[in-house]
Amino acid sequence: MNNDKKIRILLAKSGCDIHERGALTLLSVFRDAGMEVIYTGRYQSPEGIANAAVTEDVDIIALSDMTGSLFIIAKQVIAALKEVDAADIKIMAGGLLTDEDVKNLEGIGVKGNFGPGTSTDIIVEHVKQIMGGE
Amino acid sequence: MKKDGIVEFDRNLGHMVRTATQSHIEVKPFYEPDDIAHLDYENDLADPGAYPYTRGIYPDMYRTSLWLKSFIVSYSTPEETNESFKQYIAQGMTDLRLLADLPTQSGIDPDHPAAWNSMMCGGVATYALPVYEKMLEGLPLENVHYELAHCGISNFIYFHALLIAHMENNGYDAAKLRGNSINDPVRAKLVYASPDFPTHVARRVCLDHIEYSVKKTPKWKAIAPNGVDPCQGGMDAVKELGGALSLATAVMKDLEKRGTSLDEYGAMVFALDAESDFFETIAKFRAARRMWARIAKETFGAKTKRALQLKIGIRTSGLSLQSQKPLNNAARVTLQILSCVLGGVNSLDASSIDEAVGLPGYEARIFNLDTQHIITHEANIPLVADPLGGSYYLEWLTDKMEKDANEYMAEIEERGGIFECLDSGWLNGIMEQNRLKLQREKAEGKRLIIGVNSFQGEEGPINKAVRGSAYKVPTEQLRQERVDEVIAFKNSRDYAKVKQTIKQLYLDTKENRNISRAVVEAAKVGVTIGEFAGVVRLAYNLNFDPLNQIDAPGFIIDAIEECK
Repeated sequence: MNNDKKIRILLAKSGCDIHERGALTLLSVFRDAGMEVIYTGRYQSPEGIANAAVTEDVDIIALSDMTGSLFIIAKQVIAALKEVDAADIKIMAGGLLTDEDVKNLEGIGVKGNFGPGTSTDIIVEHVKQIMGGE
Repeated sequence: MKKDGIVEFDRNLGHMVRTATQSHIEVKPFYEPDDIAHLDYENDLADPGAYPYTRGIYPDMYRTSLWLKSFIVSYSTPEETNESFKQYIAQGMTDLRLLADLPTQSGIDPDHPAAWNSMMCGGVATYALPVYEKMLEGLPLENVHYELAHCGISNFIYFHALLIAHMENNGYDAAKLRGNSINDPVRAKLVYASPDFPTHVARRVCLDHIEYSVKKTPKWKAIAPNGVDPCQGGMDAVKELGGALSLATAVMKDLEKRGTSLDEYGAMVFALDAESDFFETIAKFRAARRMWARIAKETFGAKTKRALQLKIGIRTSGLSLQSQKPLNNAARVTLQILSCVLGGVNSLDASSIDEAVGLPGYEARIFNLDTQHIITHEANIPLVADPLGGSYYLEWLTDKMEKDANEYMAEIEERGGIFECLDSGWLNGIMEQNRLKLQREKAEGKRLIIGVNSFQGEEGPINKAVRGSAYKVPTEQLRQERVDEVIAFKNSRDYAKVKQTIKQLYLDTKENRNISRAVVEAAKVGVTIGEFAGVVRLAYNLNFDPLNQIDAPGFIIDAIEECK
């Protein structure tokens, strides 16, 4: 990847989950790490997230959810991305995750799934690694 | 380990890293009589049960009235929620807190497209009366304390109406309904960005609910300014206190304008947070009672004892609980419960040790109840009211929090009042500033969270078992069943009756009459939470759907046309 281009991330929440502290924390953490971050806010539809990802030309979508529904949400966002020919955008997930959720998410290509309290250094490192690997 | 095999020893490992409380109040190494020489016992403290109630609202405190032991109980289905309530009641639960899933709390039905991703998460999809009746089946209704703990302002008036409808349908006296609603328009927008109603609509519906409740369900306190969730969003204890007091003052002034005095309203209830900072939390509860008593007397000229009193309901901080080494949460929760008891609170909902992993499981909650039983019966903590009263440190800290909160409230007033500060984004700015400050302190090791940014260590079988017991979220199949159920329910209703109540609700909203009774009548014929919120929105010329994804159903458009 071109070192001049900053990594662009869309932080996204879908459905009616109100917990946004994790998303807001990462918003400042990614910015401090020199990345460009856009936060969708709460109550978004999967289609809205896919459209925002395309419009904002992001490299990664970071889904945040504390209801335990990350696998369900990720499937919908992936489907919505295909609809707008943007299946190349990478997805990662953070929030409430069981071991089974992580396995399921990895199975549909969502790499980088982080539970509450994960060191933000680990999350930033993951983003750099998957973007640097191209 | 060094090369020679001798363990490296650091005498300072685990030493203190702070000289300030959690809310950044700098404190001295010790306090002495001079620090509290300006306080006057009769004016500033007084005996428990006497104005300004710093030391508690009852003369014999817990000997007369032990704090209520509460939980929010709300699992995915009405059946398992009902079963859980019964199990906890048998184990000593005395305050039943009701909630709904997240779409319901946002004011939409399960068949709304935005509901799917969080449906039946955080609670039951209580979209209409039959679901509520199933959830409450066999539970006592008269003289039992309930709390409505939802987010959106649409929810409080609606679910209070469901309780009334349920009681009336089953021959109970609704006037004997006891409990409280959170019904806090500041929290709804500041913390949740609740899409159901914008602030001006939320303020009106909030007041309709209070006004109706004073007249028809006098043992129901229809507002409890909430400090818990602003704290979870980043506010500190001083701002929590100042925010709750500012809101209570603003709403009671609005209620006065409608002709109901504070003396008629009676005791105020606050829903406050029990954070990890032990003494700061105790001081906050004592300061809250004193400050409200003074406001009630000086601003509202309250004369009755009740109107001067603040009852404090607690939820202990969910945010303080960690998913790393979750067993440590037992220590956190126990200390938080203890601070509540030493602070003289009136009801207590303690978060559970597995709360950072998922919805609380049965055993984790029984641990909470048992902790409270142990504090009561083995440790004998509640024998004496305000046992820390007179402590140089605690009295200084109580006084300091009152002064700081008063300054914050004065600033809110200068900026046009609490609602202006909400809509201008100023409150959000304050919350964000403190949130970032805490985040930075944690990253820099100036605030240690054990097991997370310090003393991580390995997890053994006990911790792993806590993690493994997490409550599973509903599958997609269960969600689909709920969607099918709500559609079938809607189609089964008597549409002539439904339209009639919708017309009444629309006209009462539009023509500025109290909408509460219209909501009860609508609930009785099956109008759902989403339809109720949508009709109120239409009367304010807003889109039916708060999320702008669906159109108003045809029968609602027809009903409203017929009103014109």
